[in-house]
Amino acid sequence: MRPTPCPDLLDAQARLASHGWIAPKAENFRHLPPPPASAWLPPIAKPTTQPTSESNDPTAGWYVRALDAAQADQFITQYLDPTVPEQRAMLFRGLPWPDESDAAHFGWMHRATCQRGLRLHIAGDPAGHAAAPLRLLLHIAAPAPFDAPLVVIDVAAGAHCVLLEQHAFDPGASAGVQNLDLHIRLGHGARLQHLRTVAPAPHDRLAHQLHVTLAEGAHYDQVLLASGSAYHLQRTQIDLHQPRSAARMGAALLAANSALDQQIALSHTAADTHSAVESLLLAGGKAHAVLNAHTRIAPGADDANVRQRLSAIPTSGQPRVVMRPHMEIHHDQVQAAHGATYGALPEEALFYARQRGLDEASALALILQGLQRAVLERALDDPELLTGMDFDAALARMTRLHLAGSTR
Amino acid sequence: MNTNTTGRTMTQSNPLLSVRDLRVEVGERTVLESISLDIHSGELVVLMGANGSGKSTLGLTLAGHPRYRVSAGSARFNGQDLLAQKPEERARAGLFLSLQSPPDIPGVKNALFLRSALNAVRASRGEPQLDAFDFLKDARARAGELGLDAKLLGRPVNEGFSGGERKRNELLQLALLNPRLALLDEIDSGLDVDGVRAVVKQVQGMRAQGTAFVVVSHYLQLIESLTPDTVLRLDQGRIAETGTLALARDIARTGFVRQSEVAEV
Repeated sequence: MRPTPCPDLLDAQARLASHGWIAPKAENFRHLPPPPASAWLPPIAKPTTQPTSESNDPTAGWYVRALDAAQADQFITQYLDPTVPEQRAMLFRGLPWPDESDAAHFGWMHRATCQRGLRLHIAGDPAGHAAAPLRLLLHIAAPAPFDAPLVVIDVAAGAHCVLLEQHAFDPGASAGVQNLDLHIRLGHGARLQHLRTVAPAPHDRLAHQLHVTLAEGAHYDQVLLASGSAYHLQRTQIDLHQPRSAARMGAALLAANSALDQQIALSHTAADTHSAVESLLLAGGKAHAVLNAHTRIAPGADDANVRQRLSAIPTSGQPRVVMRPHMEIHHDQVQAAHGATYGALPEEALFYARQRGLDEASALALILQGLQRAVLERALDDPELLTGMDFDAALARMTRLHLAGSTR
Repeated sequence: MNTNTTGRTMTQSNPLLSVRDLRVEVGERTVLESISLDIHSGELVVLMGANGSGKSTLGLTLAGHPRYRVSAGSARFNGQDLLAQKPEERARAGLFLSLQSPPDIPGVKNALFLRSALNAVRASRGEPQLDAFDFLKDARARAGELGLDAKLLGRPVNEGFSGGERKRNELLQLALLNPRLALLDEIDSGLDVDGVRAVVKQVQGMRAQGTAFVVVSHYLQLIESLTPDTVLRLDQGRIAETGTLALARDIARTGFVRQSEVAEV
């Protein structure tokens, strides 16, 4: 029997056909235009109008596991194949359509090309007696040359989870493409501390879009450690549409002779919502990087408290860096602060470290790691998480490689 | 026997530090006009002078700060050309500078910073590396002796430290690195009475083991406690006077403007 075409797949393809790709002057992308639409399609065949009769192995190349085996019963995973209509329906169930922003093109492209899916339900400690949060590892290996995964994470009301998201890229493979969509939904009073490391190979092209929705009293903290590549977009959209919801983001970004675009969009529509964004970019050589933060406070968002702080340090060469801290405030009773700094290396601290015996390269690496770590720590209540979740080791490795002029 | 430029009667040993006609510029300005001095192992020299006389510049120059450009003169340390060495080479050779205002290093834990520095110095001496456990045991013990809360070892270097804590942290680094020559720039500023006592005890203990000191200070009580071999007064980038504790007492009583200079005005 011939499989029935998936309506949303056809819609996505129709949308792409009618609207084309991201315009060169699109506001969010004009400083670092993405590769053309053709770069984000699977090789050989154009996206099919019908699901294939042969299904993928949706479990290949990624996994979720509890870092403490005793917590293995606190979450459920479902690996789904979007080329199978029933599984596709389960995978995309309840997800919003791409919005009308410039970045929606990536969303439509993802809908049209999605090849594997994962739904993760985090129940937390059902009895509510756990002294420690659930600690999970989400490992995603990118199969070259093309990958378009979808991850949906639901965190149950009251649950507290620390999620370490790691990506593996094959530096030996030819240029790879990954268009990842990640949806996170936090229930009432839930808390997710999301630690992400994304270090693609130099020729890879990446677009990661995260959509975070918080229920009342929920908290979302993200720390991101990412390096540049041929093209690397990290976009996070956070909706604070319920009272007392809060989000913090800390990012340590490294671009050496590579491209990196961070876009953060925060929407405050409810009262007593809080958000803090801080990004530090190290840029070297002929890097081309953009830090773009946009926070919107809607009418009625009483006592919203928002902060943005973007900074960049040139480490070598003549990198091209654009920082865009942007706030759109439609309510009076709010607290808001934002700023951007483009600064030189901290010469006094560098001399101090060398005067204590460290050679220049070691001193520089130590100090830059420290600056990055300080940014990440501010996005977490527990700085020791960075050590406990192996983030320190990744930070040291990526900083060393950055200073060596590599992105890997 | 010979007599060095500081006026101290010396035995046959070579000076640990020998500076000749040192001229230093910062940007377009000449800060040190001509400085000559010899310092031997175990010797303690106190450097006094009005603000802007060049005291800090001398320490920063000898330590190799890149902003301070030597335009004339020479400096030999332990028989080597000091000015040809990078800052870390000078440190590894045993030259320690305690800064007047030690900088913050955000995100770098004090213990990690100290252990990294100590292991860099040990590696240059061919000594084995200290692991974190051994280092922390020693560092905590030394911190306790100096009245420094051991919790500060787990905090970023100098970040949020009080003035006194910064100076005690400098003393801890001094104790752990055990240099041949320590240049202490206003080590007493910000310290309470117990802190000043800790400075005296630390300096005297290391001096007895052969470490030489150049101490910049304005406070007679500390200077007297340190029992210096020599007191130097710097003025406009030159050594204007050389003396003993009596000179320090004289300066404390009358200030830096000397009688002869007043007469010339």
